[in-house]
Amino acid sequence: MKKRLALFALILLMVVTTACSSGSKNAGGSSDDKGDSGEWKPDKPIEIVAPSGAGGGWDTTARMAAKMFNEAGIIDQKIGVVNKEGGGGSVGWAYVASKEGSPYNLFVSSPPLLLVPLNGQSKYDHEDFTPLANVIADYAAFAVKADAKWDNLNELFDDMKKDPSSITVVGASAPGSMDHIQFIKIAKAAGVDITKIKYVSDQDGGALTSLLNGSVDVYSTGVAETVEQVKAGKIKVLGVTSEERLEGDTLSDFPTAKEQGIDATFVNWRGFFGPPKMDKAAVKYYEEKFKELSDSKEFAEVREKYGWDEMYMDSEEYKKFLDEQKEEIKGLLDDLGLAK
Amino acid sequence: MDVFHGLIQGFEIALSFQGLMFVFIGVVVGTVIGMIPGLGPITAIAVMIPITYGMDPAIALLLMAGVYYGAAYGGAAASILLNAPGTSEAVATTFDGYPLAKQGHAGKALALSAIGSFVGGTISIILLTFLAPTLAKVAVSFGPPEYFALMLLGLTAIASLSEGSTIKALISGTIGLMIATVGIDAQTGTARFTFGNAHLLEGIDFLVIALGLFALAEVASLIKNRKEKATNMHSVGSLKLTKAEAKEVAPTMGRQSLLGFLVGVLPGAGGTIASFMAYISEKKLSKNPEKFGKGAIRGVAAPESANNAASGGAFVPLLSLGIPGSGTTAVMLGALIVLGIQPGPLLMNDHPDVFWGVIASMYIGNILLLILNLPLIPYISRILLVPRQLLISLIIVFCIIGVYAVSFSTFDLYLLLGFGVLGYVMRVIKFPAAPMLLAFILGGMMEQAFRQSLTISNGSLSIFVTSPIAAGMLLVAFLAFLVPIIKSRKSKKNDPAENNKSA
Repeated sequence: MKKRLALFALILLMVVTTACSSGSKNAGGSSDDKGDSGEWKPDKPIEIVAPSGAGGGWDTTARMAAKMFNEAGIIDQKIGVVNKEGGGGSVGWAYVASKEGSPYNLFVSSPPLLLVPLNGQSKYDHEDFTPLANVIADYAAFAVKADAKWDNLNELFDDMKKDPSSITVVGASAPGSMDHIQFIKIAKAAGVDITKIKYVSDQDGGALTSLLNGSVDVYSTGVAETVEQVKAGKIKVLGVTSEERLEGDTLSDFPTAKEQGIDATFVNWRGFFGPPKMDKAAVKYYEEKFKELSDSKEFAEVREKYGWDEMYMDSEEYKKFLDEQKEEIKGLLDDLGLAK
Repeated sequence: MDVFHGLIQGFEIALSFQGLMFVFIGVVVGTVIGMIPGLGPITAIAVMIPITYGMDPAIALLLMAGVYYGAAYGGAAASILLNAPGTSEAVATTFDGYPLAKQGHAGKALALSAIGSFVGGTISIILLTFLAPTLAKVAVSFGPPEYFALMLLGLTAIASLSEGSTIKALISGTIGLMIATVGIDAQTGTARFTFGNAHLLEGIDFLVIALGLFALAEVASLIKNRKEKATNMHSVGSLKLTKAEAKEVAPTMGRQSLLGFLVGVLPGAGGTIASFMAYISEKKLSKNPEKFGKGAIRGVAAPESANNAASGGAFVPLLSLGIPGSGTTAVMLGALIVLGIQPGPLLMNDHPDVFWGVIASMYIGNILLLILNLPLIPYISRILLVPRQLLISLIIVFCIIGVYAVSFSTFDLYLLLGFGVLGYVMRVIKFPAAPMLLAFILGGMMEQAFRQSLTISNGSLSIFVTSPIAAGMLLVAFLAFLVPIIKSRKSKKNDPAENNKSA
């Protein structure tokens, strides 16, 4: 109770101080507000929630950001990463949603923040939180066995148009979630009847196995998951969902869907959010800090190491981007009859 | 020769000061965590991941591997001493381990499990060392229809696990299958049998059911029978096996290690199926199958050899293909990615230090575990010397902590209590609980594999017979199911009195 009271008092104090200073900030102009007395600064450790178990994409992003913030000296306060696993993210989101107004509880997220609520499995979606900044982008890859008869996406989609029942797509997530939707989006743009696509979900790590032993035909996954298998000559990537070819060894060999004449992309964006009703001054603080992080050479090395793309958006851009993405995904789910 | 060259390189890493230290830390942490019901290897490794940031990847993986097989070692203790299996791999160990402890042979049961684990672990590492690249093909030979057949084969154990009425065992198994359907369905994303309760979206956790049906039900029985002065439970007994006993379990450990390793190689199958299959096959092979479930030493040696061998087998797909074979190795794979190593078919060439370092460290880790565990047995089993009132409270506390540590949800505690009551009622009306738990463990995976197969085949059941592996296993499964039923029909006809008893 004491802790909560203290926190409440702190928040109250902050609200009061920022409310008082907001006038002066506006007067000071938005271009340069360093030295502004109303600026918010963390005065205790910051917590970043990864709404998944340790070791996944969210966890890696959160931990790397936390580490680089401190190593590059961008934020001096300690940053702790906490794993809140469960419900495809909804457990972690519910936790952060309960921290209304706190500028010390951030979380990392990606398209599931839109998909999971649309599938009816979380009562919180991106509109309930305060978008701070998007940081990186990752892309989907569609792979087939190395000796498969298709050499590009158009050959595959042509066969799918002729006989949709002959081709099975596998992914590691449930229907209506990322691995499924990313494939649907590209297939739709190519003119395939998406209601006829056979999608199998394998959530116990067997998706790649099923592809390798020929049980299924196409593996819808992230770009990074395919690289080692391609290098070993086990699978080939028919297409990736980025705007332009990716950079890097092996990665640059993957053709985009766009260059194959299919006008669609899918971005696995990853960024940071705060609890509902986070204070504007704190949002501004984090926006700037994430920008600094994104521009730092330390984080550039991290991006290179994990094969991520740079994709910075500030709070406002991010919000707009998410609203658009949500509409788009909702349309796809409606077509599939999966929207709830 | 490449193998030996690689092994030498591996031992250089594993025997370095840092290597030895982290293998030691890994196996100690693994054993301790394995002993506490509720803290399985997945939790342990997830806790380790943040510690490994910035570590040399080879050292980080050998630390996590140590935790992994260390937990498989330690998992037997709670099963044998408290009838509280902390992981699904350790369920089969309770069947004969706990009766042995009740009869005052806790020391022997624990020694058997330690030795069985050592044998299983060592045999699987040797196979891993020499056959990993060859076995990689086996690892990917199973698709959805084959997995369905394998799970169904595992389910036939229900018939073997039933004492007395097969019908009761089947009812119990059916309830288990029903419980497995609770939660979000992976193939459609629909919530099933959740009654709008968000706590049920993830399904019911294994621990809730296992600790409820086994441990809490046992506690209730202990309370009810508190006046009886029967048990020898307060004595631990000798650790030593007689020559005859050693002779009896040696072939068991050998063959079940092989079986366990092979099942472990298959991604997704893992230690649970391996331990159940080992238990059942050993019962079938035994000349005195009626002794199983009442404290047969082979009933402890078989699952313990198999589940440890399976944890070694799970490294085959992980190291040679970059495919995780179990939930725990999936977490390890994630940790490797965080450390900047993308595991895949080229791991052995690109990062021989990681590949061979881990394998070499497992030889050392297994020896360390045996040296650590054997002398500890008298101390661990002292828990039985605790006065019964205290022991009972202790078991309840362990169960509650275990369940709460998984989900941090009080709803699960009510469920635990519910399953405890159910388990006790089932005991009173003589319904076996093991088939329910087994069906629950296998049911979820079996259903997914079944529906994946049917999606692939556009709804045609022929997919299950066109694959020779699947067809073969299905045939064995049906035989295993039918033979006992026919047998019991025959014996019932011969003995109508028996019929009345079981009805």
